[in-house]
Amino acid sequence: MNRRLSTRGRRELTKPAVYAGLVVIVALLPLFFGSPYIQHMLILTFIYIIAAVSFRTIVISGQFPLAHAAFMGIGAYLAAMASKWLGLSPWITIPLSALVTAGIGMLIGYPFSRLRALYYAMGSLFFGIGVIQIIYAGGSWTGGYSGLTGIPALLPGTISKIPYYYFFLGLALVSIIALYRIEFSRIGTNLKAIAQSHVVASSVGINESGYRILAVGVGCFFVGLAGAGYTHYNMVLSCSSFNFMATLWLVMYVLIGGINSFAGPIIGTIILIIIPEFFRDLKMFSPFVTAAILGIVVYLMPQGLVSLPQMVRSRLTERRNTKKVSHAS
Amino acid sequence: MLLEINGLTKYFGGLAAVRDFDMHIDEGELLGLIGPNGAGKTTIFNLTTGIYGPTKGKIAFDGKDIVGKKSHEIARLGIGRTFQLNPLFGNFTVLQNVSTSFHLHPRSSLLDIYFNTANYRRNEAYISEQSLEILKLVGLDKVKDELAKNLPHGYQKMLGIARALAVKPKLLLLDEPIAGMNPSEIDFTLTAIRKMQQQGITILLVEHNMKILDLCERVVVIDFGQKIAEGSPKDVRENKEVIRAYFGGERVA
Amino acid sequence: MELIIATLTNLLILSSMYILVALGFAFLFSMLGILNLAHGVIYMLGGYIGLTLITALGLNQWLALLLTTLIVATFGIFLEKYCFRPFVGDFNRIVMICVVITVVLQTGVNIIAGTQILSLPPFAEGIFKIGPASVSYERIVTFAIGAVLLLAVTWFVNRTKWGQQMQAISQDLEGAYLQGINVHRISALATFIGCGLAAIAGCLMGAYLCLGPFMGDFMLVKVLMLTIIAGVGSIGGIFIAGLILGSLDSVLPLLVSGAASNATAIAILVVLLLIRPQGFFGHEVEL
Repeated sequence: MNRRLSTRGRRELTKPAVYAGLVVIVALLPLFFGSPYIQHMLILTFIYIIAAVSFRTIVISGQFPLAHAAFMGIGAYLAAMASKWLGLSPWITIPLSALVTAGIGMLIGYPFSRLRALYYAMGSLFFGIGVIQIIYAGGSWTGGYSGLTGIPALLPGTISKIPYYYFFLGLALVSIIALYRIEFSRIGTNLKAIAQSHVVASSVGINESGYRILAVGVGCFFVGLAGAGYTHYNMVLSCSSFNFMATLWLVMYVLIGGINSFAGPIIGTIILIIIPEFFRDLKMFSPFVTAAILGIVVYLMPQGLVSLPQMVRSRLTERRNTKKVSHAS
Repeated sequence: MLLEINGLTKYFGGLAAVRDFDMHIDEGELLGLIGPNGAGKTTIFNLTTGIYGPTKGKIAFDGKDIVGKKSHEIARLGIGRTFQLNPLFGNFTVLQNVSTSFHLHPRSSLLDIYFNTANYRRNEAYISEQSLEILKLVGLDKVKDELAKNLPHGYQKMLGIARALAVKPKLLLLDEPIAGMNPSEIDFTLTAIRKMQQQGITILLVEHNMKILDLCERVVVIDFGQKIAEGSPKDVRENKEVIRAYFGGERVA
Repeated sequence: MELIIATLTNLLILSSMYILVALGFAFLFSMLGILNLAHGVIYMLGGYIGLTLITALGLNQWLALLLTTLIVATFGIFLEKYCFRPFVGDFNRIVMICVVITVVLQTGVNIIAGTQILSLPPFAEGIFKIGPASVSYERIVTFAIGAVLLLAVTWFVNRTKWGQQMQAISQDLEGAYLQGINVHRISALATFIGCGLAAIAGCLMGAYLCLGPFMGDFMLVKVLMLTIIAGVGSIGGIFIAGLILGSLDSVLPLLVSGAASNATAIAILVVLLLIRPQGFFGHEVEL
């Protein structure tokens, strides 16, 4: 008992130190990787980490949204249109379109909070497809099928990717901390309570539909932020980045990392974006690498990649124990 | 009068689960609602707590009409309840189960939560302390860090009561609190219920087990969704209608 | 007149094809709760295997259709055994394994056949005339195959022992086990039939419209819509929902142009779903 307490105490101290160390390492990465392509991939990783973590915030409330990439698209297109047609500065369009995305999410979340489980997932899937069709039908306003080009840059005049790198690193950190605080506060507990039993949750006074809408609002705010940031970084938008398959890939990022853990989406996004990059030479065959990663996780790690250290540890102790037994006999 | 039900009727499809039901509960009372299986007792609970709306009739709590209000609004007015099949927040610890239910009392703002302010931490500490008090009352303080789903059945039932108490209810609705318990657990639960009543909580008990009668001051008996008798436990036990409902016909309680 | 007939036949063909593919999806879903997101690529696979058999091996079209159905259906049994059955009850892993299947098959088709749009040779040629109206034989044949298959499946589900066992499993899995129903064999059979139907639809649609590696995504979305609007667990509902979807897809483009017609169709479906949160004939499902 005493020993367990002391390890827990030590972990309380080492945890923040480990996280700070990780952040420092990530912040120093551009020094080692000068290639703009690698920096570009890392920036995309930051953007998708925000999207994946905010996806999970909605999931803990017991809702499985399949419109998350579409909401990223709403944020992206709102920011693009506001800066391109209204001439607003990207520094205004990014927070503004995140707020509007959250508003749209909550507006849609209200009727959708009537739908449960699979029907919610599918209803949101249809909504996401509808959003993409509306963008296609938007003509010159949204660029339709050919996409939108000539969007003002966030940091005009910089050719180097490094300023963008630090901007998105900061954005990802702020988002992760905010979503972490929400999940491990009373709000997060209430969301998890609703997910476990909505009848019991309302019987103790938790406003079920209110909290479900709040979760959607928070999730959409951050994914809108990611989308708007992406717009002013990429400066070119195409609808296909936000369609149903894009949502499905976001879901994969979350599931492969482990949906039951806060770190899951972060780890999953990093693995699924970075590892296939090592196999770029395979060209047409490279999707097989992604499929292989997914397959390994599905068959060997039921709880996702976050459970890997624990699995290794238990395998090791098992081996040690069997050795002991064989020694004894 | 704390709770007043008048002419309550609920149809499911063409079937009347409750028909023209009248009942009232006085402040501080311990009222028993008994009847055979399927008589409509749980339906009355679900109607009172807003899980579904009545087809017809009035429910007033503390003088206010609560028909059409949502479950969580009714809980906030001061009606706590337990469930017969006793669903729990299974993946929460025992303490978390209670403290989650405690959320109504001190409220923290969103900014408090973001920045983890002293105010937020103070509120949370207060809630943990109060939750522990409630767990002591029902005797679960020793297992506060266990996951709720790993508890034995009797403990889970007690946890259900503890969770309802965390709402700080004026009226507590207990749906078959002793079903499936062993004799010593039953004794413990009955003592706990008496203790709650002494603390000033009004209690409405549902049972189809006639043994629990002696605990109550007044008993209402329903069968096929209608009230068939009302009075002291002794009167009810001797009532012909009640005897027929329980012992006549095909089933025995 | 031409337009009305063309729209009507198009409506019937689209509806029957949607229903054919959706039935296989619905079997697996209502029996074992498997959300088979790979059903779309199986439909695509059917079309490509059919094309390969006809063009590369020079087989007779009808023989190729039959062979394709058998190959894909057998592949379905393999999928059921190694990809679905180990994860029954684990929604997240089912979704992941389906994405794996999708990625593997789509990439494979991309590598072998390329991304260009292909099409199967038509299953019948010529035009059938009655008075002022004319319909191509291809449309008639396509619809006839679809209708016959749908009747056959309905008969199978309702009248045969295996079909009734399928219904029993979808109502109560544990009860079916206790009754001594061989759940594994029945679910393998359901996957066999479901994948076979999808393959036939793939070949027919490949001839009626065209073949592309991403045609499965389109069909998958249709199938999901159909199943949800029908309500999970209702075979009859699928027929009605299929007709609704088919008419939206064939009539709306006449009234509204371009992408707006797709958006309108989706809006109608979302409103339908919000009016009936459990679909029209279904029941609530926990994930």
